[in-house]
Amino acid sequence: MIHTRGLVKRYGKHAALDGVDLEVPVGSVYGLAGPNGAGKTTLLGILAGLRKATEGEVTVEAETGEVAVLSDTPRFDPWLTGREVVALALTLSSADDAMTAHERAERVDEVLSQSGLTDAAPRRCGGYSRGMLQRLGIASTLVARPSLILLDEPASALDPQGRREVLDLITTLRGHATVLFSSHILGDVQEVCDTVGILHHGRLLFQGPLSDLLVGRAVPRYELRIRAGADAVAGSLSREAWVRSATAAEGGVVHVEVTSLADAERHLAGALAATGASVVSMQPEEVTLERAFLELTS
Amino acid sequence: MSPWRLEFLRLTRTKKWVALVGVYVGFGLMGPLSARYTKQILARVSTNGATITMPDPTPPDGIAQFVSNASQIGTLVVVIVAAGALAFDAIPEMGVFLRTRVSPTWKILVPRMVVSFLAAAGAFLLGTGVAWYETWALLGAPSAVPVLAGAGLGVVFLAFVVALTSAVAQRMRSVLGTVMTSLVVLIAMPLLGLAPAIARWLPTSLANALADLPAGGKMNDYWPALGVSVAATILLAWAAFASAGRREA
Repeated sequence: MIHTRGLVKRYGKHAALDGVDLEVPVGSVYGLAGPNGAGKTTLLGILAGLRKATEGEVTVEAETGEVAVLSDTPRFDPWLTGREVVALALTLSSADDAMTAHERAERVDEVLSQSGLTDAAPRRCGGYSRGMLQRLGIASTLVARPSLILLDEPASALDPQGRREVLDLITTLRGHATVLFSSHILGDVQEVCDTVGILHHGRLLFQGPLSDLLVGRAVPRYELRIRAGADAVAGSLSREAWVRSATAAEGGVVHVEVTSLADAERHLAGALAATGASVVSMQPEEVTLERAFLELTS
Repeated sequence: MSPWRLEFLRLTRTKKWVALVGVYVGFGLMGPLSARYTKQILARVSTNGATITMPDPTPPDGIAQFVSNASQIGTLVVVIVAAGALAFDAIPEMGVFLRTRVSPTWKILVPRMVVSFLAAAGAFLLGTGVAWYETWALLGAPSAVPVLAGAGLGVVFLAFVVALTSAVAQRMRSVLGTVMTSLVVLIAMPLLGLAPAIARWLPTSLANALADLPAGGKMNDYWPALGVSVAATILLAWAAFASAGRREA
């Protein structure tokens, strides 16, 4: 759906994007992850046609009317009601041409309901909270059933409940549209995206299925919590042949990197019993996007 | 919710139409009144040492008084109202909302330009009608043809003002910057017009036609400014459309 080749965007001498080759498959929910200032908004702006690339090629396989963009802090004319904003978004899209007035009204009500704004719809959006504006932005984005949706940090301004609702909404889009979703909140990306791009200082460090990123970085590791004497336990475990390293952290936590999870399952309980330590808990450490990201960017 | 209805709501819900109509109708009421009673007012404030003598007011004075007051403040209000609608990138998030949905971008501008112009022209014509009626009631009827011709030229000037504001808005991309730059251009024109050879070509001279024609001015004097105004309006609208389509470099 989206292909870029050697995309560069410079502001003076600073390269906001530096040779980005983006591949967003049709129908995917693509998470563009990276810290603030990584170049996510610049990349989305170029894909949306709002900014001009300094170098490189961009191919977006969708017409303007089929692309919907949501900025990180959407704002609308404050004297319009929520319903009017969504109705305007529908009118401005190409989807409006094929709909009757009744169908348009039904569609507007449907997305307002999906976004949890039914009660607030008749009110002027100048009185909406930031979270409500974000949801109104999402309703305006979805109303015309676009084939490509570009979402710039759609959940970053929301409270936990609002974030949950937005992430659920994005999840429902899978299979109906291609979604490119930027966020610096890696947990959100991991939760809703099937394909991930890691952008750092304008460079795409990784791109591909989320599972490839996590499995490729997976190191068999256990996290133990010891009542007391974590340093001694770490020292004792590090002498075992099936342990690659064991390090004590604060709060009685011991991170144990093992040759394989099977070895740990076989030997770890016995080795701990031999130390005489009081074990509060022990579990395999999951590989998170955050850990993979930190490994990639460190 | 069409873009045309959006612009209608912008005028009504933000009460911008009140500012437009208030200025023109207000000066339409006050202009002839002040022309009618200026002599009496000055006679009352005259002291023993100084006497101010003025000729009796005539119908063209009533219209001229309206024009002298309304042309400056009215133009200022038209620029402010138009800039509020036309500088749609002033709030970037709202610009994104429009630019990513409407292509080509001139389609965003057309309703904003047309509705701003119609509101300004409507308010101006309403104010002219009020001034005409009150002049008729207080000073006698001014000739209809010169007043209508002057009003027509005033409307052309307002079209030029809206087109100028539109072109500036696409360059400045802020409401304040658009208002200030447009006003500087509009103020600079009469300064250029201090040279008589240039004055008759300047669009700003059309703003005074409503006062001049009923007082005996010649329509022939306004053809050059009319031609320049129409051409400049078309060019400025084209420049606005071209600039609106520009992406951030």
